Amino acid sequence: MLTYLIRRILQIIPTLLVISLVLYGLLALKPGDPIDELRRGNPGFTQADYDRLREFYGLDKPWYVRYWKWLGRVVRGDFGISRQFGRPAAEYIFQYRFPNTVLLSGLSLVMAFLISVPTGVLSALRQHSAVDYVITVGNFIGVSIPIFWLGIMLIYIFAVHFRGFMPAGGLATPGVTGTWAILGDRLRHLVLPVIALSSLQLAQWTRFMRSSMLETIQLDYVVTARAKGLRERRVVFGHALRNAILPLITLIGLNVPLLFSGAILTETVFNWPGMGRAIFDAILVNDFNVAMVSLMFISLLVLTFNLLADIAYALIDPRIRYG
Amino acid sequence: MPPCVVFGANLALDKHEKEAQMKRLAYLLVTAAIVLLPIAGSASPALNNLVIGATQEPSNLCPWEGAADTKENVMGLFNIGLTYFDSEGVLRPGLATEIPTEANGRLVVYRNAEGTIVGQEVLWTIREDAYWSDGVPITSADAVFTFKVQNTPEMLVTTRAFSGLIDRVEAVGEKSFRIVYKSPNLFYAAVGGAIGLARHYDIAPKHIWEPIYDQVMAAIAATPESTTEIIEGQFLGAPPSTGTGTVVGSGAFKLAEWQINQFIRLTRRDDFFLDPPGPVANYLDEVTVRFIVAQPTLLSGIIAGEIEASDDIGLAGLDPDILAAQLGAVGTVEVTPSGFIEKLNFNLFPECQEAVDLLLGDKRTRQAIIQAIDRQDLATTVYPGATVSNSFVVAGDIGYDDTLNQWEYDPAAASATLAALGWADTDSDGILERTTDDGREIEFRLHWVATTADFRIRTGEILQEFLADVGIRLEVENLPGSVVFASEYINHGSECSYRGIFEYAEAGGIGQAPADPLSNELWANELLESPVDAILENVPLPANGFGGTNMTGWINAAFDQLRADALQEFDVVKRAEIVKQMQQIYNEELPTVPLYDRVETVAKATGLLNFTKGTAAARTQFWNAWEWGWEQNGAVAAR
Repeated sequence: MLTYLIRRILQIIPTLLVISLVLYGLLALKPGDPIDELRRGNPGFTQADYDRLREFYGLDKPWYVRYWKWLGRVVRGDFGISRQFGRPAAEYIFQYRFPNTVLLSGLSLVMAFLISVPTGVLSALRQHSAVDYVITVGNFIGVSIPIFWLGIMLIYIFAVHFRGFMPAGGLATPGVTGTWAILGDRLRHLVLPVIALSSLQLAQWTRFMRSSMLETIQLDYVVTARAKGLRERRVVFGHALRNAILPLITLIGLNVPLLFSGAILTETVFNWPGMGRAIFDAILVNDFNVAMVSLMFISLLVLTFNLLADIAYALIDPRIRYG
Repeated sequence: MPPCVVFGANLALDKHEKEAQMKRLAYLLVTAAIVLLPIAGSASPALNNLVIGATQEPSNLCPWEGAADTKENVMGLFNIGLTYFDSEGVLRPGLATEIPTEANGRLVVYRNAEGTIVGQEVLWTIREDAYWSDGVPITSADAVFTFKVQNTPEMLVTTRAFSGLIDRVEAVGEKSFRIVYKSPNLFYAAVGGAIGLARHYDIAPKHIWEPIYDQVMAAIAATPESTTEIIEGQFLGAPPSTGTGTVVGSGAFKLAEWQINQFIRLTRRDDFFLDPPGPVANYLDEVTVRFIVAQPTLLSGIIAGEIEASDDIGLAGLDPDILAAQLGAVGTVEVTPSGFIEKLNFNLFPECQEAVDLLLGDKRTRQAIIQAIDRQDLATTVYPGATVSNSFVVAGDIGYDDTLNQWEYDPAAASATLAALGWADTDSDGILERTTDDGREIEFRLHWVATTADFRIRTGEILQEFLADVGIRLEVENLPGSVVFASEYINHGSECSYRGIFEYAEAGGIGQAPADPLSNELWANELLESPVDAILENVPLPANGFGGTNMTGWINAAFDQLRADALQEFDVVKRAEIVKQMQQIYNEELPTVPLYDRVETVAKATGLLNFTKGTAAARTQFWNAWEWGWEQNGAVAAR
């Protein structure tokens, strides 16, 4: 197992290198550069200004020359400056964006997990009952409703219609002071976006859990456990669920990296300053440094969580061993 | 796996499990209390505060690097220029004691034997009661230093379009300074035109920035190969630029807090030299600008009462009447000219064969196209509140010519004109054809490109319908703004990057401010150099490295001469008359088809006074923050 772990970790480095080359090349292919933003915002901008700034930022060099220079800085821990905000790109992402995404996506994941597991189990145990049908219909609705529409509806109902009951968006209310007041304010701002973001996962994972549980409770060892007279709670949670949840864990492990990059719709609707929106904006305005550090981080997350999912699998299922 | 509570399941709960359930319920109740506590405790915002929703956030607070557009609106809250435009378009002194003119002797113009202006000097005097927000007096030394940095070759400044015209800036006493221009500068008195900062103000605080400047220059001297990294890290990344350190400004409010990507909070200064119409206590103490990228979220916040005013672009494209109905008693809607004209720019480059084949270079083709479009219907549909335009100057501007041909919607006339040009639908497929001189059969398929903004997508659909009626097949292409405005695209019309029409908006003024540099995209030859040459500085062609802003490639010698004359005329009234002659040429030739004057829709809470956008020339909504106040709190209307 240790050998396997070391091998997998070492494989991450060349993989990331190739990914960085591909990402940088793709970004360079996109028409335009950061200077275009300045030109659009300054009517008096001259061609001389344009040429001067392109030379200053090294944009007059071929993309592979720029990539080599970027790589040289990255290995020294310098991910460059965000041309949007004048701050180090890594600082901008990890200080101002990443924590917000962890908060939103983390809570959404936890909420979806905590609800989908028992709901899926209940739906499986009460198959073909009214409870099962209600949960199933709810799942289909959750899968069908676009997140951005749900978000807008939540805002309309709880912020506009019931004016002031919930915030209409944002991370926090400016000017709130006091520890408990700040905590409460932050939680209030999280309620609606977490509900919106977790809706699709919750629906999907509930269905997944239900299917997995249905398959598991029909297996011989579960029938045997019941026949032995074990309490139903022990049969379900002690035996069946442990096996039924394995595929869900794999699924969650593979989905976690996406949570950090794929919440752009929720972030836009709720004006949540997270990584999804940061990546999108950075690509649009050609802020290469922010785009690269974000995309590389997502890549690292994908590779890492793939590895963690494999490890978790081995821990939960003693039959699985890596050499 | 810890046991979970599964409500409704047929699972017997023993005593310990019941206790665990009660504990969980208690935790939930406490959490709910924490969540709800701010609701119970919160009240309406104090009437001396204002929360504004803005869709764009400044990149940084560095005086020399940035964009003088709507992203910089916020800067107008805590900085003021030597002058400013009021809501009627009248230029007024800000930091300066008076606006320099030839009449008061502060503007001295030098002419050669032919009468062409070859230089000018401007004497500015800063008000005695003008202080930075930390209490340090604003002096001529600040102006001299500002230019010094602007003029340093290694420094990262956005543009030297105007500072490049300056020979020197010299202090004349503690409060006065003289700017000596080596070339005429029409915009010397407008914000951003004096020294040429790309901002809504003119002077930077020397006592804050000089230590940073000295440190940066020393570092560059030591390691010149790292100039870019040094400037990015130590200049752009300096605390006064990122807002993480002391930020000092010259405006009515001072920066209290900047939570990046969230909000900027500012508090009123006690020592600002311009007063509101009434006791200061009756006007705003604090302004918070929240950055909200999505329009639905911004609108929701306004209707919910969380946001009390919008910036001038966040509600673009919304029908003002519908918006007013949605707001109800919560607020009011104001529609003001934006100063931008939405237009169709033709590809008139003879190098682009497809454009040549469509006879776009013949003005009759362009006249037929404008007559084929019901521009009033278009404006009403896609941009409620907008009015039809027939010029490159916005209606209502002092230089607007109201005698122009209105080019009324007349598809019959358009069809007749196209027929006279040799177009006919020979195969009855609804698309006109013609045979070129070299025997090729050409269909009238007109390429149209614009950004992916909703109103432009809709515009493309509507134009397709109108032009189909006269036999023109419009091939629409909506691309992201970062693609179409990239220099590789917009500057390469001669290589058929766009092959027919490129729709976008441009500022339309008569040169009162750097924001409206007088038909920026229509002139070809500058004609101001001595001796005059035949180089087409403004037409992007291989010969000039595809530089310039004349995306149509239109060349008209008479138009260029009038423009050169206008740029030599400091009297606004006289300049307006010259520009009217330019408009007559434009209106006949139609190198672009003006569609409509765009408007800005601003929502504001009931009772908010003096929150009125300035003119297009001012380019900032926040030009008079010191006058903002709530009627409920005793504020009165300033005008």
